Amino acid sequence: MGLSFSFLARSGSSAAAASSRETGLGDLPESCVASVLSYLDPPQICRVAMLNRAFKGASSADFVWESKLPLNYEDVIGRVFEKDGVSFKGLCKRDIYARLCRPNSFDGGTKRVWLDKTTGKTCMLISSNGLAITGIDDRRYWTRIPTEESRFYSVAYLQQIWWLELYGEIEFPFPAGSYSLFFRLQLGRIHKRFGRRLCNSEHVHGWDKKPARFQLSTSDGQEETKQCYLREPGKWIHYHAGDFIVPNSCKSMKVKFSMTQIDCTHTKGGLCVDSVMIVPVDRTRLQRF
Amino acid sequence: MAPKNKNPNGENVVPEVQQKKTQALILKSSDGEEFSISKSAAGLSVAIKNMMEDDCAGGVIPLPLVDGGTLARVITYLNKHAEDGASDEDKRKFDEEFLSGMEVDVLCDVALAGNYLDIRGLFHDVCQRIVNGMKNKSVEWVRKTFRIESDFTAEEEEQIKKEYAWAWEGVDSDAD
Repeated sequence: MGLSFSFLARSGSSAAAASSRETGLGDLPESCVASVLSYLDPPQICRVAMLNRAFKGASSADFVWESKLPLNYEDVIGRVFEKDGVSFKGLCKRDIYARLCRPNSFDGGTKRVWLDKTTGKTCMLISSNGLAITGIDDRRYWTRIPTEESRFYSVAYLQQIWWLELYGEIEFPFPAGSYSLFFRLQLGRIHKRFGRRLCNSEHVHGWDKKPARFQLSTSDGQEETKQCYLREPGKWIHYHAGDFIVPNSCKSMKVKFSMTQIDCTHTKGGLCVDSVMIVPVDRTRLQRF
Repeated sequence: MAPKNKNPNGENVVPEVQQKKTQALILKSSDGEEFSISKSAAGLSVAIKNMMEDDCAGGVIPLPLVDGGTLARVITYLNKHAEDGASDEDKRKFDEEFLSGMEVDVLCDVALAGNYLDIRGLFHDVCQRIVNGMKNKSVEWVRKTFRIESDFTAEEEEQIKKEYAWAWEGVDSDAD
C-alpha cells in the first residue's frame, strides 16, 4: 500500500471508477475530509490526526480551525500578548488555537485567560493580587499567604475587619457570548499536617449575621447585585456575582465587580480570597477550577 | 401539496416524474445514467446552478464524479427540498429518514457528491452523521468502521500523540 494511498490520488484524478468498490472515508479528497472534520470539536479533530497521513493533513487545515477560534481572536491576542503578539505571526490556526488554550498570563501576571479546549469559549481568572482590597496593606487585617490550593499560589487572608470591600475591573475584548462571574472564597485557613488537609477556623466569625453583597456591572449598562451568606468553612466555594452578555465580539468591554460586607455593627474574619473567575454561562464542569 | 410532484412509486423517487415540469434538464452520472430533474430542484445545488447559468452542454449536465446510484439518491433529496408544498417539518423528517439507513460507503459517496455539487444542507447533514459515528470512538474503531488504512509506523503515532498532547491533557476518561 502506497504512502498516501487512494485518498490523495483521487482528489486530483477522475473518480469515475468509484462504484467498482466500496467507498470509505479515506476515499474523500482532503478538502472534503477537512469539511467533515470541522464538525468535530477540537480535541476530537486532533485524535483524527492519528488515523493516517491524509487525515493528519486535513486536521491541520486553517479553515477547520478558523471556525473554532473566537471571531475576534486577533483582538484577544493583541490584548493578552501586547508586544509579544508578533510571536503568533506565521503560526497556523491550529497552533494559535493551541496557544490560546494555555493559561496565558497578562496584566503583570495578575490575570489569566484561556480558551476552553472543547468549546473554544473564553475563560478568565483574576488573582487576589489583581483586586483592590480595602486595608490590604495593614497586617492587622489582611495577609497574603502562599498555598497550592490557588492557581496563583497565593491568597489574601482576612483575620478580621469592620469594612470588607473587594473591588476589581477588567477591560477585555470578550468574544460574543454569555458569561458568569464568580468569586472563589473559603472560610477558614488551610494547613497541612502529615499530609492531611486541616482547616483552622479560629478567625471565622461574623458571616452569619449579614449576607455578603456581590455586584457586577458592565460598560454597556448591565448590572447585577446578589446577596449571599458565606458558608462551609474549609471548602472552596464559587459565589456567583452575576452574568453578563456580550452581544457582539466587541473591541473591548469593561466589567466591574465587587464583594462587600460593610455592616459596621460587627466585625468579620477568617476569610481566604483566591480569585475571580469569568466563564461561559453554559460551562457545566465548574468543579475543575 | 401539488399533485404533479407526487411520486407514484413511493419514497424512492424516480426522476422521470419531473418531466411534466416544463423546465427540466438532464444530469448524466459517471457511469452514463441519465436523470431528468426540474430546474428548480437542480438549482439547490450551487455547482449545477452555476453550470446552468453558464449554459454548458445544452440541457445535459455531465457529472463525472457522481455515480448513478448516488446521483439517484441526491436527486431524491433535491426533489423533496424543491417540493412546493413541503413544510420545514416534512423536510426535516425526510432528511432524518433519508440518511438513517445508509451504510458507511453510501454515506461517504453522498458526502462526496454533496461536497462536489455544493448542496449545503445535504453536506451539513451527512457530515453531522459521519461525525456522530466518530465521536468518542477509539482510533482503531474509526479506522475499521470508515475503512481508513493507517500508513503510520508505531513511532510516528507516538510522535503525533506528543504533537497534539495539549488536546489530550485533561480529557475526561469518558471520552474513550
